[in-house]
Amino acid sequence: MPPLDDSITTRKRLAGLTGRRYWRSLDELARTPQFAAAMEREFPEVAVDALSPESRREFLKLMGASLALAGLTLTGCRWPRETIAPYAKRPQGFTPGQPAQYATAMELGGAAVGLLVTSYDGRPIKIEGNPLHPASRGATTAIHQASVLDLYDIDRASQVVQRQGGQTLQPGLEGFRQFASERFAGLRTRGGEGLALLLEETGSPTTLAMRAQLRDSMPLAQQFVYEPVSRDNQRQAMRRLYGRAYRPLLRLEGADVIASFDDDFLLLHPDGVRHAREFAARRNPDSGAMNRLYVLESTVSLTGTNADHRAALRPGQVALQLRILAARLFLKSGLSLPAGAEHLEGLLRVHMNDVNEHPLLEPLCKDLLRHRGRSLLTVGPRQTADVHVLAQLINDALGNVGKTVELVPDPRQDHGDRAQIEELAGQLKAGAISTLVIAGGNPVYNAPPELSVAGKLAGAETVIHLSQDENETSQHCSWLLPRAHYLEAWGDATGWDGTYSVIQPLIEPLYGGLSEIELLSMLISAEPRSGYELVRETYAQRFGEDDFEARWRTALHDGLVAGSASAPARPTPDYGRALTGTDLDGVRVYGEEAATDGFELAVVPDPRVYDGRFANNGWLQEAPDPLTKLTWDNAAVISVADAAAQGLRDGDVIELPPDSGVKLPVLVMPGQPRGVITVALGYGRQVCGRVGRGVGVNAYALRPQEHGGAAQVMQPRKTGRTHELACTQDHYVIDTLGMAERERRVGGLVREANLAFYHEHPDFAQKMTHHPPLKSLWTEHSYEGHRWALAIDLSSCIGCGACITACQAENNIPVVGKQRVLEGREMHWIRVDRYFTGDPAAPQSLSQPVACHHCEMAPCEQVCPVAATVHSSEGLNEMVYNRCVGTRYCANNCPYKVRRFNYFNYQKGITETQKLGFNPEVTVRSRGVMEKCTYCVQRIQGAKIDAGNEQRPLEDGEITPACAQACPARAITFGDLNDPDSAVRKLHDHQRAYAMLAELNVKPRTAYLAKLRNPAPGTPEYETPPPELYEHAEEHDEHAGHAGEGDGHAAAGEGEGH
Amino acid sequence: MAVPLFRRQFDSTEVVNTADDALARPELITGGKTFADVTNIVSRIAEAPSPPRIWWPLFLGSVALVGVLFSMIIYLVVTGIGVWGVNTPVSWGFAIVNFVFWVGIGHAGTLISAILFLFRQKWRTGINRFAEAMTIFAVMCAAIFPGIHVGRVWLVHYLFPLPNQMSLWPNFRSPLLWDVFAVGTYFTVSLLFWYMGMIPDLATFRDRARTRTRQIVYGLLAIGWRGSNRQWLHYEKAYLLLAALATPLVISVHSVVSFDFATSQLPGWHTSIFPPYFVAGAIFGGFAMVVTLAIPARELFGLKNIITLHHLENMNKIILATGMMVGYAYMMEFFTAWYSGNPAEGFAFVNRALGPYAWAYWIMIGCNVLAPQLFWFKRARTSIWAMLGVVMCVNVGMWFERFVIVVSSLSRDFLPSGWDYYTPTMVDILTFAGSFGLFFMLFLLFVRFAPLVAMAEVKSVMPQAHPHFDEHKPLGDYWGDAPGAHEEQERLARAEGGRS
Repeated sequence: MPPLDDSITTRKRLAGLTGRRYWRSLDELARTPQFAAAMEREFPEVAVDALSPESRREFLKLMGASLALAGLTLTGCRWPRETIAPYAKRPQGFTPGQPAQYATAMELGGAAVGLLVTSYDGRPIKIEGNPLHPASRGATTAIHQASVLDLYDIDRASQVVQRQGGQTLQPGLEGFRQFASERFAGLRTRGGEGLALLLEETGSPTTLAMRAQLRDSMPLAQQFVYEPVSRDNQRQAMRRLYGRAYRPLLRLEGADVIASFDDDFLLLHPDGVRHAREFAARRNPDSGAMNRLYVLESTVSLTGTNADHRAALRPGQVALQLRILAARLFLKSGLSLPAGAEHLEGLLRVHMNDVNEHPLLEPLCKDLLRHRGRSLLTVGPRQTADVHVLAQLINDALGNVGKTVELVPDPRQDHGDRAQIEELAGQLKAGAISTLVIAGGNPVYNAPPELSVAGKLAGAETVIHLSQDENETSQHCSWLLPRAHYLEAWGDATGWDGTYSVIQPLIEPLYGGLSEIELLSMLISAEPRSGYELVRETYAQRFGEDDFEARWRTALHDGLVAGSASAPARPTPDYGRALTGTDLDGVRVYGEEAATDGFELAVVPDPRVYDGRFANNGWLQEAPDPLTKLTWDNAAVISVADAAAQGLRDGDVIELPPDSGVKLPVLVMPGQPRGVITVALGYGRQVCGRVGRGVGVNAYALRPQEHGGAAQVMQPRKTGRTHELACTQDHYVIDTLGMAERERRVGGLVREANLAFYHEHPDFAQKMTHHPPLKSLWTEHSYEGHRWALAIDLSSCIGCGACITACQAENNIPVVGKQRVLEGREMHWIRVDRYFTGDPAAPQSLSQPVACHHCEMAPCEQVCPVAATVHSSEGLNEMVYNRCVGTRYCANNCPYKVRRFNYFNYQKGITETQKLGFNPEVTVRSRGVMEKCTYCVQRIQGAKIDAGNEQRPLEDGEITPACAQACPARAITFGDLNDPDSAVRKLHDHQRAYAMLAELNVKPRTAYLAKLRNPAPGTPEYETPPPELYEHAEEHDEHAGHAGEGDGHAAAGEGEGH
Repeated sequence: MAVPLFRRQFDSTEVVNTADDALARPELITGGKTFADVTNIVSRIAEAPSPPRIWWPLFLGSVALVGVLFSMIIYLVVTGIGVWGVNTPVSWGFAIVNFVFWVGIGHAGTLISAILFLFRQKWRTGINRFAEAMTIFAVMCAAIFPGIHVGRVWLVHYLFPLPNQMSLWPNFRSPLLWDVFAVGTYFTVSLLFWYMGMIPDLATFRDRARTRTRQIVYGLLAIGWRGSNRQWLHYEKAYLLLAALATPLVISVHSVVSFDFATSQLPGWHTSIFPPYFVAGAIFGGFAMVVTLAIPARELFGLKNIITLHHLENMNKIILATGMMVGYAYMMEFFTAWYSGNPAEGFAFVNRALGPYAWAYWIMIGCNVLAPQLFWFKRARTSIWAMLGVVMCVNVGMWFERFVIVVSSLSRDFLPSGWDYYTPTMVDILTFAGSFGLFFMLFLLFVRFAPLVAMAEVKSVMPQAHPHFDEHKPLGDYWGDAPGAHEEQERLARAEGGRS
């Protein structure tokens, strides 16, 4: 019996501790020898008087302390301790862990696309298109998908920074407010004298209203708008034609014949998502007549690769061809010139029987005349205003204006980006500006370098930069204000067609940022108002005060105000003013031979990092360029013939122009016109976050003097150095043997035919492979209930790659970096294979999205030694990450090579902020496991649970994988094969459907629908040899019948269901 | 006088016993050795106070390489499989190539000891012991690679059918699992076979031991062998049974390894010729390694009278024969690819010979098909330097064969969009080099401390072993003469009796 004293002492010690101090002191208490001794005796000797209430309490305290001690010593052994803060009162209709979707919009280049953002417990994690929004209809681009990553970017500007006399201070937002109230008050009293603002192009009614207010309240303040990537030439053309700027709104669904002159309207256009949708909708001959696309372009563009007829020409030639076309139409074919344009007849006569005429013009001319009012011409931003005017003239003459080309008012009416930034630079140089406010934008990086904006910024006393990240410009500014991400701040925007959307935030600004309207409000008034108030006010002004709250809520809920698109205008063109004779001669036309007069440059915005503002976005940096498949770089894209002539190979570094210091690696591209070098903007950021810093080369220095206008001619100089280019396809130079084999195989993998051939042989795609009847080695699975499947219509797919980034966002797919891409270890679960066939100078290109095919007889499942990849009862090929040991045998045995292995721990060093962006529904994979497309199993299960809770069967279309949801072309369809009415069942049964590599008897669940082209009769493309078919397929079918097995000639849908 | 690097410790002169006389069978042990001579020659290697001078640099070099191997493995486990050159189409690289290479090497030993035993090939006795040791060590090297090549080494026990709370079995359809069983069984049986064969010789070592340590160690290893008739009776039965058990394993293990490739559907792997082709290749490569090791061993340890030119010539003949089989398999692969009419298959082989990995393919053809043709000539078969050249070629060629099969097939499979080129990293190369370190380290320890030649078996094929031999010549002292230990040996000989 141990002495009682011990426990009594302990009790005394415990009794002396009360309240909070008690808990804090447990540690100390636990360390006393008395306590330790008491603990050793399993039950402290307090039982003596345990029955008295007082001592019983002591006992419990002591036991509590012993439990706490156990906790203290064992924590960290396995499970981390977590602080859980459950709702004391749960908000109505809110279930923690249940995702919610909010409508908002993202503006880029002055036009907005409506979005739906999925939010988990207040964290936006995934972006989808808003099905109600005309510019989206549920789809997005890769940039929209990736914008959520910018929100959680750890390199964002997170502090208000003040630079003063070589010192860098962090005064906080309050510090700025103090400074601003004083400085702006002074400016207001002087009517804004000495104040200048450099702004970005916007269609936001609130922002525009604020800018107008500023103009009213400070008449002396100057506002400049500079957008490095814009359709300025088009805008100027419209101003010349109609006296004010209009946007041409392309109605592609009504266009049977589309002619693009250097316009990548499917990808590099603010309204590209809608274009892609409408264009793709007309590529399916089973639901209406197919359209026909002619593209004459000076680079390889996504639109060009989707063309039925394509001509790759030097930029001047493209303009020339349009003039020859005009001559043909108006002079030869009897199309009459619109009123007011008669003076052009004489000018066009020069181009009668022009030797430069491209053979493509003849069928185009015929097609245009045959489809008056159902055709359209569009011209790209690199062509001069004259070319745009001429195209509009032809559209007008063909009766397309108002039908396929509608004109809507452009919110921007100024003299053009180049003029604006030049004027600002001039004013700065003259010292006329004491306070410069740069809202967004990065002129030091993206303004024409000859203006040397960086140096001139010093001319202003105060430069305030509102920016999402600390960039090249912020370094030269006295104030850097963190700008709120669009998911953090209130705003509004209009689509390309004028549809009004409210941008509603989903999360408090992570770094306390401001929006542009909030900053403008600080300028305008001594009592600045919040973005929320400002947007509501605009809404009230625009749509009236009646029933305001209800309609405001509807607008927030829907993400747009229905019917708010601008009414199409029918302004009267003034051709006399817009097109004088001399304009037409202004275009320099170079011959087809590049050798003598050097190369012309086509400087294009990048489909991933755009103008450079997304350079710190890892998803976009790693998203392969849709055409070159290049990641983490830009390059000087050059034609095959020129490369051979100049002795250049992929990766050779050239200097453009010589001694300019702009050194770019060469990328040889089939289809690139001779004599043209294409360079993408947006790279070579020097002051940027850790992702984008120093990636690629800044091409703004290469932009021609006339903003976005005619190309420059220069002769590149070889530097003798090489630079490795990380492409996700054709990782290395392929030898002739490999190229020949690739050429031979492509036809079977990506099946295609011309429309006429399809009409003769509607089931051609199913007769293209030849193999003996197939027998299964195992008993096949039976699928009761659901049978999930995918169908991809290659005729619709434009190859933009939005699916890749959508999948990455949905499935927490890591970014691996350039080095890993070079090593062939990119992690994308879906890839878009791109093949070229035919003449490298004028190839036909094919795009084919490939993800896991969820084979019914999956070769991966058979070889996994630990059964980590298994078949579900619904036919999904599932990866059990916990079970995977990483033998990689499955990847070897996968004929589609869609499995991705975690060669390293790609989640290492992920910060808490970045973790917020993960999709909690999808496991974050560890190093050493295999991963691959799951058909978005989390979405399937979510929908099944919802349907189960509501006690109803699942409906077709209820489940959409991320790739299908993002697809602007609606090329991907998901559903249940066991449902005879499902869309996917119909597509699998479709006569164009085929299974890739069906001869392996893996029975893939993804079916492809053969691609169709619609070339004009009589053209070489029309005469392309049709695919080789095995017409005697029926004989084998009989054998197959005996064998009781499906035959490879059968459609993907057949041969299943054993 | 400078000390020669090779200190000839033992009398050893080459006797040409390769005459092609059909009537007179060549002597298997030359130099008119007695039983005692054999015992002395073999035992002295382990009993010598110091090994031949070259042993130390070789051993220390090997140990250094083992250090490299384990450093590379630790680096790999800490960092991830990405430290190797494997990429998305080529998910298997050096690790699997090395695995198949070492398993192949591990073929000759058990083949010599089991199959040749069943076929009563008496010449096997001179070489079987160290060939078996080579097998054990090669399989140990081989076993490292599938272990470390998985992404999560710490979960590698999932491959074994261990009972677990989730009632999860491994996937019995997977050839990788068959590998686990095949290699595991092969290793176990080969080890037993090797050890069992060594027991009488270990007892000899024990009996000749001059130090307490040696007595205890060899005594424990000899597990009470006394050489009684009864023991010999059981021993020989067990040996025969084990030989019968090991024989199918020799065939099965590499057949199963080949299933890793043959049962997959990758063009270039999916070939039914693989099992016999792999077995022939393994014997080919294994014998080449035996010859590679035998030549320096007999030179260094004075074993030229036991491992005679006749032995080497016999092995060279096997190398020639299996080399031809391998060459035939290479040819048949092309024929089958063409005859099947499967375009993917056809391309896989054309690509092997003419594609980006053509260099590896032609190294393989040169080393495996062309080089052994030299063995048609008796002069080449019996010339030490010529055979050393050829077997070195075969060693290289057989590694490249596996490289060609694994890498060239994977790098260009069905979808041209996924094609990529595989280049090994420094870690790949150092790990491979390190595995040689492990192999040679173990082998050098073996030659230093274990009976390098199966003394008891060799004696059984000597003329003295013939029942009527003593009618012509006096029987030699079976126990041989350890230096300065005549009396003791005589006492022992009297006590235990010898085998006759």
